[in-house]
Amino acid sequence: MVQPITAKELEYIADSMSNEDLLLKQNAVLASSSSNQALVQVAQQFIATHQQHYQTLLQALHQHSNAAPTQPQQ
Amino acid sequence: MHHQSILPDEDLASVILSDLKRVVREYATAATESTCPEIRKLFTDLTNSTLNMQGQLFTTMQSQQMYNTSSPALRQEIDKQGKQYDQTLQKTNQFVQQKLSGIAQQSVYYTSRPNVAHIPQQQAQQPPVFYS
Repeated sequence: MVQPITAKELEYIADSMSNEDLLLKQNAVLASSSSNQALVQVAQQFIATHQQHYQTLLQALHQHSNAAPTQPQQ
Repeated sequence: MHHQSILPDEDLASVILSDLKRVVREYATAATESTCPEIRKLFTDLTNSTLNMQGQLFTTMQSQQMYNTSSPALRQEIDKQGKQYDQTLQKTNQFVQQKLSGIAQQSVYYTSRPNVAHIPQQQAQQPPVFYS
């Protein structure tokens, strides 16, 4: 049984996806613009990891959506 | 063929590094403020993963001579801190033992069979002193 998430947890998850999205784009810029092979490799690897983080956060939202109340609670 | 970035490599890598540092802190904060156990685990895992990434980027930048670490601490400064915190540790241990013996005395007062099993162990094991 999935426990409902709090409003605070929802805010953190949303902010986190925003952070992951920004880092993903920054790494895409670094991977495409750098002539330093070591940096390009790290940036490419990081793109994949940030995509994975983003997916995990999104999944957590979906999983807890059904357990969430539709009316404000007392 | 590489496209020209708005920022030099080194600066862009620094921006990413400091963003990773910030995100590690935010994930750690989120974990401590989570109510739902699964969400806490999620944020704990993301903290660790992001901390690893930050470490990896730092190491890469350092190997590319893109990072100046601060100068090494002087031995006399290390020893000074070591001595000071040896004293702090001894005072704290005395404080803790006083408090714990207070509990033992209280339980003698209130109950017929006090549970002081953990007290002798505390006294027997003196903490090691590194700087004396």
